[in-house]
Amino acid sequence: MRVRVLFFGRVKEIVGKAEETADVEDGADLGSLFHSYARRFPQLAAMERSTVLARNQKLAGRSEFLTDGDEVAFLPPVSGGMNRC
Amino acid sequence: MPPETVEIVRAPIDVAGLAAGLRRGEDGAVVVFEGIVRSHSGGRPTLYLEYEAYEAMALEQMRAIAREARALWPIDQIAIVHRLGRLEIGETSIAIVVTAAHRAPAFDACRHAIDRVKKGVAIWKREYFADGAVWVEGEILER
Repeated sequence: MRVRVLFFGRVKEIVGKAEETADVEDGADLGSLFHSYARRFPQLAAMERSTVLARNQKLAGRSEFLTDGDEVAFLPPVSGGMNRC
Repeated sequence: MPPETVEIVRAPIDVAGLAAGLRRGEDGAVVVFEGIVRSHSGGRPTLYLEYEAYEAMALEQMRAIAREARALWPIDQIAIVHRLGRLEIGETSIAIVVTAAHRAPAFDACRHAIDRVKKGVAIWKREYFADGAVWVEGEILER
């Protein structure tokens, strides 16, 4: 299966790109997709607990299964709005 | 304007125009919030900021926040506008305008909206200092 993976913020900096297409096995879930990147990028592995995943623009758990054509996003902790006071 | 307006823009936000466009005869109060880029962060002078977003998600999250504000308080209209790209010190990164018949719900709804945006919208800020840049990591998104 092919899925589109989007990276943002610090995750984008670690992986070195904003998006790419990934080939995944049938039956793969979000967790295994994340781990395949975490193995390649130790700094991403270090962010595992704070990186939230989205599938087709909805926040999703690690055990959610992927389907062909999905759009997945790796989302680090957000910092929209204004500066911290 | 529609009762809930959310936008992501890449140019300076016309806050006065936004507020002027929202106010109607039945409003007794207009509350305007602007989040602006501060000159210092963590004791270091900031050169400038950059914001990026997962736009489709961010817009949907902002829409949900606007809907929630109108559901929780007796307000008239609400607009939430976030700017992306490079922002200089003093520029406005986010504007929230709330109109209502009375001031208390307008203040409350506006405060709630900015608190929710900070915690729950797919937008990220990068701060540029003289000796480097850092992605600011704030709140972990929750389902």
